[in-house]
Amino acid sequence: MTTPTPRVLVPSGATKGEVFQVRTIISHQMETGLRHDVQGRVIPRKIINRFVCRYGGVEVFSVDLHEAVSANPFIEFYLLAMESGRLEFIWEEDGGSTYRLEHQLAVA
Amino acid sequence: MGLTRREMLMAGGVGSAALSSAFLASGLAGAHDETAEFVARHTGRKATESDRVHLIMPAVFPTGYTVPMDLKVDSPMTEDDHVKRIRVFAPQNPLIDVASFNFVPQRSIARVSTRIRLAKPQYVVAVAEMSDGALLMTKTWVDVATNGCI
Repeated sequence: MTTPTPRVLVPSGATKGEVFQVRTIISHQMETGLRHDVQGRVIPRKIINRFVCRYGGVEVFSVDLHEAVSANPFIEFYLLAMESGRLEFIWEEDGGSTYRLEHQLAVA
Repeated sequence: MGLTRREMLMAGGVGSAALSSAFLASGLAGAHDETAEFVARHTGRKATESDRVHLIMPAVFPTGYTVPMDLKVDSPMTEDDHVKRIRVFAPQNPLIDVASFNFVPQRSIARVSTRIRLAKPQYVVAVAEMSDGALLMTKTWVDVATNGCI
């Protein structure tokens, strides 16, 4: 499996009180644990089980993902622009690995 | 007994017609209750069907691997009145949990889009947990042509 690569699409700036869209995707197999290999052994589950978005250090949105989220999980959500600050995006994988991205948002 | 053969047959016919329509009615009511029961079993509480919850999915989709899902709840998202969490279930999947989305009042809007796997045509169920503790739900029928869970 290739290394999961996260990507986000966020506006660089917003006006205070404005609702802005955040689009995120991470390349990931999302192995459900329901499949078998050619020898008939179960391929162990390995999914992104949690996604968190922090804004200025505060958690503003999160998702608990289960097996039924498609491969290369795509999540689009909406936040309210409050103040300029750092947006952090964290994907947590089965087994404890995490993948991160950051984005600086300027609020006028 | 003054019953003729004809009268007997007529009575029987009416009786069986009544019986089958009763069966049909209970079948339909059963399908409705099934979702409500399912939600009660998996959330531990009764949910009310509400038109404030919008689960928008294609009615027919060629593959079960990546079915688009748009989810929205009408809510002011204030401290006093907001959506805490929306859980999505696919009751006919081998593993019924799809995802659960957690929102924060005055920071996020109760609206999200993603793509999900479906094993067979089924009702997808969304249950929104409101700040006052109420559970609001809706369901949407999605017909998929291929199993997305293998």
